[in-house]
Amino acid sequence: MTKDINNISKKEFLEKLESYRNGSITRRHFLNVTGLGAATAVLGGTVPGLRPTPAFAGDIGDRVVLATWPNYHDVANFDAFTETTGAHVQVNVFGSNEEMLAKLQAGATGWDVYVPTNYTFEDYVKEDLIEPLDVSRLPNYDAAAFEPRYAEAGSVNGTLYGVPKNWGSTGMAINTKHNDGKAISSWKEFFDITMDKFSGRTVVHDYQLTTIGSALNYHGYSFNSVNPGELADAEKLLIAVKPHLFAITSDYQPPMRNGDAWLTICWSGDGKQLNSDIPEIHYALGSDGGEIWSDYYAIPKSSERKDAAYALINFMLDPNVNVKEVLTHGYPTADSRTYDMLPADLKNDPIIFPAQDLLSPLEFGAAVTLTDPNRAELMARFKSA
Amino acid sequence: MGNGDYAQDAAPKGRKVVAELRGVSKYFGEVCAVSDLSLSISEGEFLSFLGPSGCGKTTALRILAGFEVPTEGVVILDGDIVNSLEAHHRPVNMVFQQYALFPHMTAAQNIGYGLRQRRPRLPRAEIADKVYKTLDVVRLGGYEHRRIWEMSGGQQQRVALARAIINEPKLLLLDEPMAALDRKLRKEMQIELQDLQRQLGITFVLVTHDQEEALSMSDRICIMREGCIMQIGSPQELYDRPNSRYVAGFVGTSNFFDGILTDNKGVLGTVRVNNEMPMQASHGSDLAIGQDVCISIRPEQMKLHRQGEGLWVKVLNRIFLGEHTEYLINHETLGDFLVLSPRQAEMAESPFNPGDRALVSWEPSAALILDNK
Amino acid sequence: MTQRTRNWLLLAPAGAWFMVMLIIPLTVVFIFSFGERAPSGGVVLAFTFEQYGNLPARWAAFKNTMTLAPIGTLSALLIAYPLAYFLAVKANPKWKTILLVLVIVPFWTSILIRSYAWIFLLGGRGIPALLDVIGIEGVRLINTPFAVLVGIIYGYLPLMVFPIYVSLDKLDKRLLEASSDLGAKSWKTFLQITLPLSIPGIATGCMLVFILLMGEYLIPAMLGGGKVFFVGNALVDLFLQSRNWAYGSAVAVTLVVVMLITVTIYMRLIYRLGASREDVSIM
Repeated sequence: MTKDINNISKKEFLEKLESYRNGSITRRHFLNVTGLGAATAVLGGTVPGLRPTPAFAGDIGDRVVLATWPNYHDVANFDAFTETTGAHVQVNVFGSNEEMLAKLQAGATGWDVYVPTNYTFEDYVKEDLIEPLDVSRLPNYDAAAFEPRYAEAGSVNGTLYGVPKNWGSTGMAINTKHNDGKAISSWKEFFDITMDKFSGRTVVHDYQLTTIGSALNYHGYSFNSVNPGELADAEKLLIAVKPHLFAITSDYQPPMRNGDAWLTICWSGDGKQLNSDIPEIHYALGSDGGEIWSDYYAIPKSSERKDAAYALINFMLDPNVNVKEVLTHGYPTADSRTYDMLPADLKNDPIIFPAQDLLSPLEFGAAVTLTDPNRAELMARFKSA
Repeated sequence: MGNGDYAQDAAPKGRKVVAELRGVSKYFGEVCAVSDLSLSISEGEFLSFLGPSGCGKTTALRILAGFEVPTEGVVILDGDIVNSLEAHHRPVNMVFQQYALFPHMTAAQNIGYGLRQRRPRLPRAEIADKVYKTLDVVRLGGYEHRRIWEMSGGQQQRVALARAIINEPKLLLLDEPMAALDRKLRKEMQIELQDLQRQLGITFVLVTHDQEEALSMSDRICIMREGCIMQIGSPQELYDRPNSRYVAGFVGTSNFFDGILTDNKGVLGTVRVNNEMPMQASHGSDLAIGQDVCISIRPEQMKLHRQGEGLWVKVLNRIFLGEHTEYLINHETLGDFLVLSPRQAEMAESPFNPGDRALVSWEPSAALILDNK
Repeated sequence: MTQRTRNWLLLAPAGAWFMVMLIIPLTVVFIFSFGERAPSGGVVLAFTFEQYGNLPARWAAFKNTMTLAPIGTLSALLIAYPLAYFLAVKANPKWKTILLVLVIVPFWTSILIRSYAWIFLLGGRGIPALLDVIGIEGVRLINTPFAVLVGIIYGYLPLMVFPIYVSLDKLDKRLLEASSDLGAKSWKTFLQITLPLSIPGIATGCMLVFILLMGEYLIPAMLGGGKVFFVGNALVDLFLQSRNWAYGSAVAVTLVVVMLITVTIYMRLIYRLGASREDVSIM
C-alpha cells in the first residue's frame, strides 16, 4: 500500500483534485440547503440487513456510522476498512458545525464517529455530548507526531476528546483578470474593492464565523470578537456591503468559475482547486487576519458501537491511510508521519502549506463564537436585511 | 292540416317559411351524420325529427342552431343563408337535452341570460319585467331566486324552456326535452308544451325518439334513418300513407307480408306473396314490376269473422286490452300476424278463443304496397 | 358494529396522523416560543414575550415572503390558467394525456436539481450572455427577487395547473353552447360561464401555491443567493445555525398566524365573490 502512495505524482494529485472539483455543486451547500444530511442519517440506519455479515472473530459489529463533511475522505479507505474489519462504513454528511451541534443537542443518535472543528469542543464537553478518548485503544495515535497547534483543541481540561484529521485556512480568492492582474491580501481591500469596482461581484459565506470574522478583521478587531461594540461595527460594514454582494453562499465555486463572481471568501482546499483550473484566480490569506482551523475525529456519547468507532478512528490515523485522504481532498495534515509521505510538490505548494509568517495573523475559531447569541443574531439580521 | 299532399320538402301552404335546409350533409371525418337533408319549416309550425338514436336528428338540430357547420348544402334562416353564422348571432334558441342550465345562477338569472347579452343593452327594469312574465308563463312564479340544484327535474325543464322562449326566437329547438322526465310528468309537459306553442306562436322543432310524443304533439314529423329523411308529413299521413316499410313500422304497428310486385297497372297492384299467393293492394307510382316489396296492413284494419269472404286462419292467442282485443293469428302461407278487434265488434260476435278457426278480411285500400327498405 | 363506530374507525388513522404530525408539534413550537435561548443553543422553558418582542428583526423576511408569495401566486395563476384552459378545452383528446404528463414530468425531478438548471440559465453564462449577443448588456438576473420569482412560478406551476384543469375539464361543454345559443360572444361566455365555474379550481390552486410559498425556503436560498430571504430561510437559520429555538418558534408561530389570517381573509373574499354573484339582481 505504501509504495504506490509514495510514488504518486503531482499530476495524479491534480487529477484527483479535478475529479473532486467536477462535482461543482459542493455537497456541503447542497446538504445545508436541503437538510438531506438528517434524512440520510435516518434512512441509512434502516437497512442493516443489507450489509455483509462479518466473518471476523472478535468482531466489532457490522457497521460504523461516520458523520463528516462532504468530499473529505477517500472512499477506497472505507472499503479497505470493511475488508479488514467486516464493518461497513456508513457516511452521513453535514453542512456546518452549528448544524451538527444542533442535531446532537436535539437528541439525534446513531452516529459513532464525527468530525468536529477545533472551536466546538468546549461546548460538546459542556453539553456532555462527547466521549473522552481512551488512547490505549488507538495504537496508531502518536501524539508526538502532531503539530500541537493543530492538535491541542482536541483536549479539554487535560482530557483527550479528539484526534486531528486535517487543517486548513480561510482566506480570499480573487479573479485577478478584473483587477489589472493584481491579487489582494487583506480584508480591508476585500470589502473596499467590493463596495467599489467589484460591486455585485463578491461572495461572502453563509456562515457566521468567517463572514463576521472577516468584517471584524476589516476593522482590525479579532476574528473571534464577541465585543458588542466591535460586532456593531462589523454589522454596519456588512449591511453597507450587502447591496454590493453577488451572493451570500458557501457554494462559491460555480459563480467563481463561470465568471459571475470575481471575489470570494474561500477555504484553502477550494482555493487550490480554483487556482489549478483557472490560474488567474489567486488564493490569498488576509494580512489583517483570518481563520485557521483544524478538524478532529471524535466519538459522540450517544454512540452504541464504540468498539467500531475506535477501530475506524485508529484505522484512519494510520499514515498510509491518512496520506490517501490528503491526496484526495487537498487539505494539509498535521501528522508529520503523513506529511513525510507526501510528494515534494505538495509540500511546497503555497496554498496548501503557506509560509509560517502568512499564517501568523490567522486565528483559530474561538468556542465562544459557536454559541454567542449576538453573533448568530447579527448574521441572521445581515441576511434578512 | 291533413290534406295529405305535401311534397317531401314543402312547408304547409300559405305560411311564411322561417327556416330551410337545402341538400344539407354533415360529415365528421369519414362518418356521415346527415346526408342530403332538404326541408322547409314554416312559421308557427311544430315539427318533429323522429328516429332511433344515431339517425342524425340531433345533428340536424345542431346545424339549425349553428353548433355545426354543414359540409355541403345550404341553411336558410329567415331568408338569409346562415351556413357559417355563429350560434350567438342566430335568432334561434335551444332547450338542451339535460337542460344545460347555468349552475352558478338562480332560475331568474338563467332565464334573463339571453336578454342580458343583447346590445344595445336592455334596461334592467325591462329585463326584470320580462323575466317575471316568463316565469309566470312556465308556471314558476315565486321560484326566481331558487338555485338550479334546488329544483326538481320538471322545474328545471321549465327554466330551460323559459330561458329559451324569453328571447322570442324564430325557431325554438328542443333536443329530447322530455327524456329525463318520468312518464307521468312527460305526459303533462307534452300538453303544456303544445299549449305554450299555440299561445306564443313560436315555431318549435323537436327532436325525439319517442313516436308517441312525436305523433301527439307535432304538426309534421320528419322520419329519419341513417342520416336521411325517409318521409315528412303530418302524423295521420305518416300513419295512413307511409312511403316505406320503415316508416310504416316506425309509426304505429303493422303486419308486413313480403312478396314481389307482379302488376302495377290498375288502382290496385298485385303482389305475389311468399312466391305463391297473389294479393291485391293499393300502390304508389314509383314501384317497378318484379321489385321486392311488402304489403302492409294495420292490425286494426283487419276483421275477424266466422262467415263470409276471407282467408281461413287459426287463432293462436288472445289478449284483452280494454278498448281492443289483440289476436295473434296464423295463416298457412302468410305466417303469424296481429289483428286488433274493437270492443264493439267483440260485443257483437262472441270472442274467438285460441285454437278457433276464423276468417280474416280487410278493405283492399287498407293494404299498402310498400318499398321493402 | 354501529355506523357510529365505523365512522370513528374510518377517521382514526387520519385523526392519529393529525395528532402526531400536526397538533403535537404545533403545541411544542407554541410552548417553545415563550421560552429563552439556552446558553449554548436550544431552548429553556420560560414564560416571556421576549422572542415576540424581537420579531421586528425579521421584518424583511416577512416582507419578502408577503410580497413575493402573492406575486408568485398571481403570476403562476396568469400563466397556468391559459395552459389549463388549453389542455381542458382546446387540446385534442388524443394528446391530452401526453400533454398532462408533460406538465407533471418536471415534478419527478427534485426542485433542487431543477433550481440548479435555473442557476445556470439565469447566471452570467445563460440568458444574460444571450442578451449580450443582441446588444443588451449588463443584465443581472441571478440572485435577484426576479430570479426567485422565476423559480417560484416554475416550481409551482403544476400545482396551479391541475386544480384549474380539473375544474375546466369537468365543466359541461353544453353550458358553453347554451351561452352561445343565448347570444353571448365567446369572450362573454368565458367571462360569464367558464371563469365563474372554474373559480373553485382557481381558489384551490391559489390556496395550495400560496400556503406552500409562505413556507418556501429552498428556491430563495438557491436562486436568491442568500440575498432574497424568506421567513422559511429565517427558520432554517434559527434552528440549524444559530440554534435559537425559542426565537425560531416565535417566528414559526407568527408565520402560522399570518398564514391563518391571510387564508381566512382570502376565503372570505372567495366567498364574497361567490355570494355577490348570487346577489346581483337577475340582470
